[in-house]
Amino acid sequence: MAADKGDQGSRKSKRSESSVENHIIGSDEEEEEPDFSDPEDFVDDIKEEELLGDLLKQRPKETDGIDNVVVVDNVPVVGPDRVPKLQNVIKKIFEKFGKIVTEHYPMEDGKTKGYIFLEYTSPIHAQEAVLNTNGYKLDKTHTFAVNLLSDFDKYENVPDEWEPPAPKPYHDVGNLRYWLLDPDCIDQYSVIYESGEKTAIMQNCIYLNSVREPVVIEERPRWTETYVRWSPRGNYLATFHQKGIALWGGERFDQIMRYSHPGVQLIDFSPCERYLVTFSPLPEKSEEPQAIIIWDLRTGHKKRGFHCETTTQATWPIFKWSQDGEFFARHTTDTLSVYETSTFRLLENKSLRISAIKDFSWCPSDNIIAYWVPEQENVPARVTLIQIPSRKEICVRNLFNVADCRMHWQKNGDYLCVKVDRYSKAKKMEDKDALKYSGIYYNFELFRIREKQIPVDKVECKENVLAFAWEPNGHKFAYIHGESPRISVSFYNIRPGGKVEQMKVLERRSANHLFWSPMGQFVVLAGLRNMNGVLEFVDSADMTVMAQTEHFMATDVEWDPTGRYVATGVSWWGHKVDNAYWIWSFQGRLLSKQPMERFCQLLWRPRPPSVLTPDEIKEIKKNLKKYSQRFEAQDRLRQSTVSTELIQKRRQLIEEYEKFKSEREEEFHLFKPRRLALRNGIDTDDLGNRADEEYEEEIVEFLLKVEETLIDDE
Amino acid sequence: MKPIMLHGHERSITQIKYNLEGDLIFTCAKDSQPNVWYSINGERLGSYRGHNGAVWCIDVNWDTTQVLSGSADNTCRLWDCETGKELANLETRTAVRSCGFSYSGRTLMYTTDKTMGQPCEIHIYDVRDSTQVSNLSPAMVIPSESSKITAAIWGPYEEYIITGHENGEICQFDAKTGEKLITVKEHNKPINDIQASKNMSMVISASKDFSAKLFDTATLRHMKTYKTDRPVNSAAISPVMDHVVLGGGQEAMDVTTTSTRIGKFDAKFFHLVFEEEFGRVKGHFGPINSVAFHPDGKSYSSGGEDGYVRVHTFDPEYFDFRFEY
Repeated sequence: MAADKGDQGSRKSKRSESSVENHIIGSDEEEEEPDFSDPEDFVDDIKEEELLGDLLKQRPKETDGIDNVVVVDNVPVVGPDRVPKLQNVIKKIFEKFGKIVTEHYPMEDGKTKGYIFLEYTSPIHAQEAVLNTNGYKLDKTHTFAVNLLSDFDKYENVPDEWEPPAPKPYHDVGNLRYWLLDPDCIDQYSVIYESGEKTAIMQNCIYLNSVREPVVIEERPRWTETYVRWSPRGNYLATFHQKGIALWGGERFDQIMRYSHPGVQLIDFSPCERYLVTFSPLPEKSEEPQAIIIWDLRTGHKKRGFHCETTTQATWPIFKWSQDGEFFARHTTDTLSVYETSTFRLLENKSLRISAIKDFSWCPSDNIIAYWVPEQENVPARVTLIQIPSRKEICVRNLFNVADCRMHWQKNGDYLCVKVDRYSKAKKMEDKDALKYSGIYYNFELFRIREKQIPVDKVECKENVLAFAWEPNGHKFAYIHGESPRISVSFYNIRPGGKVEQMKVLERRSANHLFWSPMGQFVVLAGLRNMNGVLEFVDSADMTVMAQTEHFMATDVEWDPTGRYVATGVSWWGHKVDNAYWIWSFQGRLLSKQPMERFCQLLWRPRPPSVLTPDEIKEIKKNLKKYSQRFEAQDRLRQSTVSTELIQKRRQLIEEYEKFKSEREEEFHLFKPRRLALRNGIDTDDLGNRADEEYEEEIVEFLLKVEETLIDDE
Repeated sequence: MKPIMLHGHERSITQIKYNLEGDLIFTCAKDSQPNVWYSINGERLGSYRGHNGAVWCIDVNWDTTQVLSGSADNTCRLWDCETGKELANLETRTAVRSCGFSYSGRTLMYTTDKTMGQPCEIHIYDVRDSTQVSNLSPAMVIPSESSKITAAIWGPYEEYIITGHENGEICQFDAKTGEKLITVKEHNKPINDIQASKNMSMVISASKDFSAKLFDTATLRHMKTYKTDRPVNSAAISPVMDHVVLGGGQEAMDVTTTSTRIGKFDAKFFHLVFEEEFGRVKGHFGPINSVAFHPDGKSYSSGGEDGYVRVHTFDPEYFDFRFEY
């Protein structure tokens, strides 16, 4: 029976119950056939709701269609003559989300009222329209405010009195940068070993002049399921899990935040450490895009999800960040989409149309994007630099016969090098559209960003280029070129005037990677993997080779963020035996070998940029002698404490051992009779020791051969 | 010190042992002929012919009258040391992995592999009782249920046998009752070798887990650990110095993937107490399978996968070297 509301309903139901009772009693008493027809004076006062309440409930209501309706505000106010045009525009925008059943343009004084109603066929379409068009900028003065009609009830019920939201309890995560407070500026690094079972954060206790074992700060089993990553300023450690990403930090490495993203595989931090981008290849279940999610790092809120079109891009990061974290961008086949982090929408609501854009990259110091497009239909390939957000082209460089381009920014954003692979002949492949290039040679186009109108220099290289790298804080670059075994490394310097000069060519090297120290000047040339781990430490100031050495089968080289140490590793991911990491000084002196069972990955904890101004740094450099004296004294002290500690420890060990030894000796003497009994009374205890004293010299003479020689009688 | 090279084996050396006086070296290899050599000049004295398979272990009794060798041909044979005559042929169901004479030489033991559905067992024979040998009825059979025995030696005074197992355990078995007295698990990979110090108060274990460990013989208390970056195949304690020598190297199957230049086949010398490496001896071009100190501590020998036995005599500086403490 339907439950009715209000007094009337309840009364009625009582009555009906009593009538039923009566009926039952009647049936008990008299067994004659019941009369089903109503008495004459019967008034049917049972309402339909009572009988068919449950059915009536399903009757369509006026408000049922409301969920399908959206209200669009801030629509331009136009006269009747332009209404059809407006309708067209509106339809174009809103029909993307589903069929519009009815549209209503309220009119007043012959003009539209500035808001309209649109009805879709299903609430899902309406919701999607709200999600995607709310805040849509039609033009400068009209930004749509789109709501569901049914939401109006919700907003009407908003209390007039504003209640301040209860402040979220402050969660103190401690000093995230505590490790920078270390008086000796000791660096930390993360190590994954036992094939990923264990992850540890270590403190590098190796000083240039005294070596100690690294100290484990934190070690946890199964801390991560794949690998770990430090945030760019070193405040957080990200671990990967099936369900998402976890961030850890602070002195005890407590969990700071979790980001739920099932199947997450790749992540990227914005350089300002405010946003986290995660990528999961799992098929998206809901309508909402969530292949790539951008999170607010500190609050853990999802800022926006994106689809991932795998056809156009395959390289992570798909979204590239500007240095200040204000913008991020991605490119598709014909567009470059720049987003703002203030709204998480497209900058000016439009992507840049750049047909056939191949690649782009942000300048590491300014909001400049460099991109390149290949040759098409007699239009040469070109590299363009544009400013964001103004989108002003500040430099365009046309290039001919381009097979491929690679852009390398110098860390300070002073220079951009575009490595251009050029060809002398191009042949169309028969079956594919792809071109086959032959006679490839290489060009380095060097853009001097800091100078007026951005002059460009060119360096040519006829040989295959294996690696290129800028000196992080300087004007030098180096590249590896040639074919094995004739591989050379060339160093170039850009003079203040802009002259590019070749400094040195190191010939016949086995190297396939080059790593500049983060502080510049020093380079490690490494022949990783198939080159057996040959290492060479070069000082680019005077082009001397400081050390030529080897870490056999090394797979990785990692400079520490201060440029004092280099870690080389043989990762279990690349090579199954001898997994270890070695730590070298920047001059190539081996400081420590750390073999580790199934060692996988070592990552130095990055440091935030220095807070010192360039002048202060200059000042320190000037007075370096003064400081170095102090540090040398510290080093000496440390060394002597190490040796005294060691000697103390040894003394203690030897004492313990001597005690044990004398106990056993005593026992040994006690058991002498037993030994004698076992060996027939012969004392063999000192036999070996006395062996040479007891040698009895015995001379045995025997005939070797008899020879007869005739001697002349002359 | 120019080493003496003993080249008489065609295949990789499996074990080497000195006799009590140290004038003879007994070697066995994966070829079927154990050899005996003069330690002073490396001259071969003779061979023990009869085995039909790789010989895994060899031992000589204290008065150098009998030699015991165990082989993969499922026999453990007793030889007359001087004449090379086979005195007894103890047939087993599986390969013999380790063998040894007791202190008095009156009893002998050997251990068998756990293969072909057969359990791993320690067999103890009394040599004096000829019926035991002829009827193949050992005085004692101790089964090792848990894990295969990969190394075994007699404890002092014939009371118990110390065994090293495939799973890294080291155990004491009572030789009279067969009872397992103590089990310790300090290694997590197979034990390749166990050797005792001169007065048998300590034993050193060599394991595939890249380390060798020192134990108190009586209690199997773990005392020291010597860490390397290679599987350790054999370790020995110097009879005169507080030194141990470790021999090992990457297994033959991994050798091509590692560098020979770094000297991974070196014999490594550690200070017994400080656990610090202080010297290396190179020479082998394959992993070292067995090391042994001369009883006078003035020389040592190593036998390798390359089939050579190298007898090294220490330079005088070796005896002058002192750790600062």
